Amino acid sequence: MSLLDITDLTVTYSTDSGTVHAVNDVSFSIDEGVNYGLAGESGSGKSTLAEAVLGLLPSNGSVESGSIEFQGRDLTGLSERERRDVLWEDIAYIPQSAMDSLDPVMSTGAQIRQAIQTHRNVTDDKARSRVRELFEIVGLDPDRIDDYPHEFSGGMRQRVTIAMALALEPDLIIADEPTTGLDVIVQDKIIDKILEIQDRMDSSLLLITHEIGVIAETCDELSILYGGKAMEQGSVDNVLVNPTNPYTMGLKNSFPEIEEGDQDPVSIPGSPPNLSEEPSACVFKDRCPFATEECEASHPDLVDLPNRNHRSACHHVTKAAQMRRDATDPETWGIPDSHDESDRGEVLLETDGLEKYYEQSQPLLEQLRGNDPNYVRAVDGVSLRVRRSEILGIAGESGCGKSTLGETIALLKQPTGGEFVFDGEPYEHYADGNMREFRRKVQIIFQDPFDSLNPRQTVRQLVGEPLTIHDYRTDERERAIIETLEKVGLTPARKFLDQYPHQLSGGQRQRVAVAKALVLDPDFLICDEPASMLDVSLKVNLLNLLRELADTEDIGIVYISHDLASLVQVSDRLAIMYLGRVIEEGDVESIAAEPKHPYTTSLLAAAPEKDPTVDRDRVLLDGEPPNPVDLPSGCVFAPRCPKAEDECRESEPGLDTVRSGEHRAACYFPDGETPAADDLADDRSDSQYGDPEFSPPASGDSASD
Amino acid sequence: MSEFQRFLAKRLAISIVLTLVAVSVIFVVLRLLPGSPFESLVTAGNLSQQQITEIRAMYGLDQPMWRQYLSYLQSILLFQFGYSILRSQPVWGVLAPRLVNTLILLVPALVTTAVLSSLLGMYVGWNRGSKLEKLSIIATTFLRSTPVFITGILFVIIFAYNLELVPAFGMRSISASPEGYVETFASLDFLHHYILPFTVSVLYYSGDFLLLARNGVVEKRGSEFLKLHRAKGLSEMQQLARAGRNSMLPILTYFALRLGMIFQGLILLEVVFGWPGIGRELVLAIQQQDYPLVQAAVFIMALAVIVANLVADVLYAYFDPTVSTSGGGAA
Repeated sequence: MSLLDITDLTVTYSTDSGTVHAVNDVSFSIDEGVNYGLAGESGSGKSTLAEAVLGLLPSNGSVESGSIEFQGRDLTGLSERERRDVLWEDIAYIPQSAMDSLDPVMSTGAQIRQAIQTHRNVTDDKARSRVRELFEIVGLDPDRIDDYPHEFSGGMRQRVTIAMALALEPDLIIADEPTTGLDVIVQDKIIDKILEIQDRMDSSLLLITHEIGVIAETCDELSILYGGKAMEQGSVDNVLVNPTNPYTMGLKNSFPEIEEGDQDPVSIPGSPPNLSEEPSACVFKDRCPFATEECEASHPDLVDLPNRNHRSACHHVTKAAQMRRDATDPETWGIPDSHDESDRGEVLLETDGLEKYYEQSQPLLEQLRGNDPNYVRAVDGVSLRVRRSEILGIAGESGCGKSTLGETIALLKQPTGGEFVFDGEPYEHYADGNMREFRRKVQIIFQDPFDSLNPRQTVRQLVGEPLTIHDYRTDERERAIIETLEKVGLTPARKFLDQYPHQLSGGQRQRVAVAKALVLDPDFLICDEPASMLDVSLKVNLLNLLRELADTEDIGIVYISHDLASLVQVSDRLAIMYLGRVIEEGDVESIAAEPKHPYTTSLLAAAPEKDPTVDRDRVLLDGEPPNPVDLPSGCVFAPRCPKAEDECRESEPGLDTVRSGEHRAACYFPDGETPAADDLADDRSDSQYGDPEFSPPASGDSASD
Repeated sequence: MSEFQRFLAKRLAISIVLTLVAVSVIFVVLRLLPGSPFESLVTAGNLSQQQITEIRAMYGLDQPMWRQYLSYLQSILLFQFGYSILRSQPVWGVLAPRLVNTLILLVPALVTTAVLSSLLGMYVGWNRGSKLEKLSIIATTFLRSTPVFITGILFVIIFAYNLELVPAFGMRSISASPEGYVETFASLDFLHHYILPFTVSVLYYSGDFLLLARNGVVEKRGSEFLKLHRAKGLSEMQQLARAGRNSMLPILTYFALRLGMIFQGLILLEVVFGWPGIGRELVLAIQQQDYPLVQAAVFIMALAVIVANLVADVLYAYFDPTVSTSGGGAA
């Protein structure tokens, strides 16, 4: 008997503007001990499905029809009370955003204890020792159970929620995007942890994510959802290796991978469907290049493919092999294939030893004694060069100073040291009354397309605002705006002029943000994680747009991200940052192919793989970056480095320590000279014992002397 | 020194400086006012120039300003408030009973309303969109925005004159002459007089707490951690309790600040109900330029606000683990 059986589930939300059909006739079942994946873009109904199973639908959502049977009991018919008993005891939940999911005014241990004591009648002492045990299982220090959530980092908080999910050894764990918003390295560690534990506990897992790579690596079976419909389902090996549904093909092709750096990922144009009516035609037909009249008529039923665990909802399932071939060609999707490398132009921006230090506040007494304050070295001697029509990618974990670097080279923050030259003029020139000129030439695109647009302004006002500020092309304002909108792919531009940000989709909003930056015809663009909030297919759209801009408009671009896979796709050159320093720099191809620095190796290794048949060696880094206030002497990476020797701890290697052509790295024992990955994995276990003292920095300042 | 002790020391130092500033401002402002306490006596022609000089010398008003300021500082910080010019009794003897009268009316009222309105606010915030929510918001907003003397007079008209349930005026019946605090306040007669002004002040303060609590819970209601609490299988009331606990901080701060301001009394309320409180006394003293009395009264009020602020800070640090007690370092 299967553990969870969902049959023809339909969930709707009633809103002011009518009914939204979020999940339509979805059926699947999860057997005991199986990892099941649910994939799809945002708005595909995957989170709604999880909430329906948990009974956590918001008050305007309701299960219209269908059944959710858990161990033979229909969950939809349970009373409030009965449901509460099932929750956590049988079905536990790992929420999406670890940052906000823990009660901020309750210690983490108490929150787990609460979960235990709500369901079991145990004494405080017993519950406490269980919490200690759980902390140990998920790799947290059991002495920290009385710490509050804000004292943990994002990854550690996610471990707390995992510990909580395990507390009662449930039969099913539902994990809703458990790693979204975390760094690749942390993501990799969390996934590894979930798998390890789940193996031990023998429970089933329902994993919801938009990253097919994560599913490919962790799950046995999956369903691909689109517009509230299951498009394709079956075993991971079948579905992801030989997709038979155009949507799965599109999703798979748009997932960027490091190895395919030379090949543009193919995105799915268009945006997810409007769900205000129950689907009558195939939900994907508007974006599907293979759509025919048949697709207009009805949504296809899931068809069992012979002889394997694989079902697909497509009218053309018989032509799957043909479609699969065509789908890798961008032209099929109506995307012009215009990818000719233009020559890189003159050097536009150059920094030499650029520094941005923050003074730490120190007690009055120390100030009076005249002691030097501590500095946080957010950017510590970075030397970069960016040419015209070149994209320089800057990668690193959160907290490595990459965003500060972006803001410093945009001169939104004043550099505290080092040389800065833009367009032949030094920093002093711009600081001395020429800032307006600089602001016109250099534009920055921020992380969040939802917050960086003023919700009370129309697209016309938003894009036109910079023109007014800089008195640029004011006589042909309207034309400038329309031209720019068309350049970023918002066509027909007139349609968008009078719309407000909330009327646009996430991808369109980010395009408006890009248009806002481009309307002044800048020479230089700084993008700070512009795609991290976007779905894969939108992300690919944006990356392709930036690539095209660099090629055709001759502008230099700095692209900052922690997502190495998309950086490899878009950039010409890469700089890897760790704790405010650039530790490796060079052409994308040569870094992706043979990384020199052990840190780069582990970053590359942490990116998930979309092909389930490929076995990836996980290189898990211990700990977290040290506190940038009291840095260890020598190489800053030494405390976490599997290959660190005494030499590394004594003196710091310069960026020129290893050099082959343009490719430079700051390491005494570069990878590539010995077979890298296996060695690293072996060494890792040793290094755990070699460096047991190392502990991650506590949050807050370290000035508690 | 632990982190918390250092934080406390810092806050204490700030409070002391604030107190000094407040005391000095009182001194200067009073001296800037035109006229002097004896003006009316002089214009009435009851005092000769000789007598005026003597009295001024007695109060030290003939000395240079800085000397007056120094001796003023010295005595006020030692809680030596001196002698009221017009009443010819020690200032503390005038102020103490009025202060007690005010506190005994307003502190219980504030505590009652803080507890009841906050709980109600949390409940209606949780059940957003219910009739009870709309009703309670309208009612409390109405009570909050109507000047307290209007509500007071309305209540007096209804309950004292029309229904004749309670007396309209004063703190005790005219014939009663109790001795000591216990006899004054622990009597049925006092309770009888107490109910009406107490109810009005409860209603007057209720709006702020209700809205604060409601908004806090509404804001927290959609948050991820409550969803996790719900997924854990907590009952509706347990979830509400967590939401309430999370939105308690602004309420707590507001309560402490209000508590400090209570020392100023509710002047209009005291006037309407003929309540012999500190607010009324202060107005009288200012009118008559009774320097020592005004200085002492304002000093007590300022001190109360400063102490309440300090208490709010400490409570905040205690109840919110995320408040960095190091005073805004890198976080």
